[in-house]
Amino acid sequence: MTHLDDRLLILRGQIREWGAQVRPLALEIDRDPEAVRHHFALPAVRHLATMGVPEEYGHEPEKIGGHRFYGVSALERAVVMEELACADVGTLVASPGPLLAGVAVGLCADDRQKRWFYGRVLAEPLWTCFALTEPEGGSDAAAMRTSLTSTPDGGALLSGEKRYVGNACRAQLGVVFARARPGPLGITAVLVDTAEPGFDARPLDMIGLRGARISSVVMDRMPIPEDRFLGRHLTATRRGVWAFVQTFNVLRPGVAAIAVGIARAALEYVAEHRSTLSGAERERYEELVRRVDATRHLVHHAAAAVDARGTDGHLASAAKLRAARLAEDVTLAAAAFFGPGARLSHPFLDKLARDARAMEFLEGTGNMQRLNLFQGLLGGKVDRDRRRVPADA
Amino acid sequence: MTTLVSDTAALLERCHDAARHEGPAPALAALADGVLPGLLPCGPGGHAVVAAPTHAGAHALWLDGARRPLDPARTKIRAELDLPGGRVVLLDTGHAAPADRDAGAGAEPREVYGLGLVWLRLGLAQALRAACFTRLAHRRVGDSTLLQQQLVKGTVADVLAEHLEIQAVLSGARPGDLSPGMLDHLHGRITAADREQVRLLGAAGYLTDSPGLTAYVSELLAEAYAAAKEAP
Ligand SMILES: Cc1cc2nc3c(=O)[nH]c(=O)nc-3n(C[C@H](O)[C@H](O)[C@H](O)COP(=O)(O)OP(=O)(O)OC[C@H]3O[C@@H](n4cnc5c(N)ncnc54)[C@H](O)[C@@H]3O)c2cc1C
Repeated sequence: MTHLDDRLLILRGQIREWGAQVRPLALEIDRDPEAVRHHFALPAVRHLATMGVPEEYGHEPEKIGGHRFYGVSALERAVVMEELACADVGTLVASPGPLLAGVAVGLCADDRQKRWFYGRVLAEPLWTCFALTEPEGGSDAAAMRTSLTSTPDGGALLSGEKRYVGNACRAQLGVVFARARPGPLGITAVLVDTAEPGFDARPLDMIGLRGARISSVVMDRMPIPEDRFLGRHLTATRRGVWAFVQTFNVLRPGVAAIAVGIARAALEYVAEHRSTLSGAERERYEELVRRVDATRHLVHHAAAAVDARGTDGHLASAAKLRAARLAEDVTLAAAAFFGPGARLSHPFLDKLARDARAMEFLEGTGNMQRLNLFQGLLGGKVDRDRRRVPADA
Repeated sequence: MTTLVSDTAALLERCHDAARHEGPAPALAALADGVLPGLLPCGPGGHAVVAAPTHAGAHALWLDGARRPLDPARTKIRAELDLPGGRVVLLDTGHAAPADRDAGAGAEPREVYGLGLVWLRLGLAQALRAACFTRLAHRRVGDSTLLQQQLVKGTVADVLAEHLEIQAVLSGARPGDLSPGMLDHLHGRITAADREQVRLLGAAGYLTDSPGLTAYVSELLAEAYAAAKEAP
């Protein structure tokens, strides 16, 4: 078991308290994702607005229980994400902040790029986006078509289409993945300022997780100066695929934690609105609680593993796989405690069930996690059996 | 026994066929017009998922067997969704069905409506399967298509087996043949299989103008008309 230390327990307590102020926004943000603009002063939103900016770039978050939390470890982020997803996942994903893009910057940017990106994020609450998925295929990143065409000044022109990119229609900054050359090493990521010409993003209407303002993006010959290429200082093999595999490994426990938070929210709703449960109901409820607790352990274990070694992402795949299914199952099971038509009488339960469905897709679908997990097993990278007898080998 | 619905088998077939080929609204309208003309069909908790014309044309509530006057003041419209085939309205009337509703003529329409809803949802699920199939067959991965990936084939086959089993249970069943427990079981199986299918659509199935929205309505349909088991 991965235990949270006292520091993280203090953080969890504080975020839980802040989360209580966010819960009442749930249905409002679901109806109107732009309503988050009225809530920038909430401590939870402020925390997210800079979460992930390291201390050395001038980040000075307010102390919590005598500690400062920068949000640079996957385990710390998992704690924050579960709590805020439990409070309201819509507000969590609607909030400005460096989140996914910030992780890519942290792993792949050079010092000057970090100063630029973190500097902007610290100056004011702004949205960022992380644009990888394309209309023709999300899971098959190798088939990426968005292109970077070199210009004589050492920069490039960025052209192509992205789809389902969270917050892109209101983001000021983004990390965009694109192909600079054919072949698996030809994919790279660039930093973009969306105010510059050639970037057009429009929101897509989604069934759930509506706070995320999922968008489609068209980039038309957008000039990208040479110094906006992420990982310029890394070797060619580390720049592209390596960088995004690491980025995803580090992000995945966070997504899994969000899914755990959604499941927990559903159970808390049952506890709050069904004060007396029959014997059989109580047994059913407790079994769901056990499932949530078990998956949380896996999520924390996976986060600790990627914190120790960024390439260690197989546990994160397992965590994401389990947590996404957990969120779907528990939100449906929660509705069953309220009798016929529960989701029509309890809009919050309906919202949780709709939001939970997004968890399948974020950071790779269930099948992609299964394939990754299987590769990990095959390659001896996960659950290695130290006493394996030769016959098994 | 006198039958309110003159040709139940034909009605069920019409309902299944409309769901599969036209969409939820025409199928819901066929079922409501055939079984409960002029009424707003509600489940035991007083919820309704109906075609917009059924809502607009209703002159009384039908609460899982019992008639009550319409009560617009207490009714909350939860959503009005434009789906292929027409608009569907989701309502909470604020009236639960009375406990004594089983007496008299309430039981037969309930049996027909309940059976019809499972047929209807099966039709929607089969349409979803066709939509998934087409999308995956056109989506390329490497030198192949998504449909040809073994994990995908496995899911499609599991879903198909599920649909075949459900259809085997429904085929030839007359209203009242299947217990409320069995109808709920079939609804649960359809929901689980639909979720498998919607996952196969990728994020495209999470858009409001996708088959994912019909699957969402189908789930709520099952919930709204589920047999009352628990009284919170
Ligand atoms: C709420 C939400 C937020 C998102 N945010 C972002 C974001 O910020 N940035 C971003 O870039 N993207 C984002 N996405 C997109 C997400 O990453 C993609 O949806 C995901 O990668 C899947 O891609 P796809 O939707 O194109 O599905 P597809 O790749 O078309 O997959 C369709 C189905 O086929 C299966 N499949 C695919 N390949 C295989 C295979 N080889 N073997 C077996 N099965 C396979 C999949 O599991 C899935 O079930 C978001 C999506 C959602 C829903």
